[in-house]
Amino acid sequence: MKKLSTLILACLVSGIASVIAPGIASAATIEMQVNGLVCGFCAQGIEKTLRKNPATTDVLVSLEHKLVAVATKDGSDIADAELRKALTNAGYDVKAITRTQNSLADLRKRVGVKGK
Amino acid sequence: MKIRSGLWLGFWLVAASAAHAKPIAFADGTTVMAEYGAGTMKEVQVFYAPTYRYSLGGGHLSLRSDVDGRARDITYARINYLPKRWNLENAQANVFVWASAGRALVDDTDSVFAWNGGGQFDYETRRIYGSLRTDLHESSRYSHRIDTLQLGFAPYKHDYGTLAFWFVVQGRNYTGELYDGIEWAGLLRIFKGNAWLEAGATGDGKLQAMLMFNF
Repeated sequence: MKKLSTLILACLVSGIASVIAPGIASAATIEMQVNGLVCGFCAQGIEKTLRKNPATTDVLVSLEHKLVAVATKDGSDIADAELRKALTNAGYDVKAITRTQNSLADLRKRVGVKGK
Repeated sequence: MKIRSGLWLGFWLVAASAAHAKPIAFADGTTVMAEYGAGTMKEVQVFYAPTYRYSLGGGHLSLRSDVDGRARDITYARINYLPKRWNLENAQANVFVWASAGRALVDDTDSVFAWNGGGQFDYETRRIYGSLRTDLHESSRYSHRIDTLQLGFAPYKHDYGTLAFWFVVQGRNYTGELYDGIEWAGLLRIFKGNAWLEAGATGDGKLQAMLMFNF
């Protein structure tokens, strides 16, 4: 009975947490469609800038797919405004931002880019 | 004499052109460049970009003519500015302008104030590249303007972190009664990661090379 009560309590806390902060634990990978992404040498600034963010664990850049993706630490997220600012500082324009549960490893396989 | 002077300037300026690929890397980025040009020119440049809009830095340009032995050693501070960039879905285009000021040691004897101003428009996709540039150099001992067209073609589409190959053809017109006609050069451009190598030859077979790093 005590175990059942603990389980119910844990479920309640978890449910409340997801209602209060829906964006925090949900973002495994942030994908950005980027305009102007044509030169690998010039795009280094994207990775350099995004890796400075403490929430970042990994970055993927694909010229072929006009894609920049960021993996974030568990329970962390990076605000859209911050992402747009990072890409602007690197000299590019963000067209769209989406958040998915796909891992960056899966995304790498999908777009055919090797990890570092 | 005019032709000899034109050839000497031609060697120098064709070699110098390679360094102008893109004078601003990215915000908080540093660019280091070193060039060897046709046995007549050596140059090093360092730029730091506080934002992607401008970069500050300096360089040293050493010129030795193998035609008549004339020499110029120019040490300068320079600012590069990006007034306009178009980030398109499959292309990028830029307008850059720059200005520099420094001292020029002419023929190892006279040290004079020297300045330079210029601009560049470039357009690039993953397969083609084109740029048009104008560059004005002034001092009490020399004055000239150079207009340069570069057209590049990539045999395949490179991606981020992979090896890129480009073939680049360059044509240059000299004004200010420096040189008659257009001088051509062919270059092979290779880059991967933060390293960029460009090497080729002028129309008369002289080697030119440039190495660049962004970090």
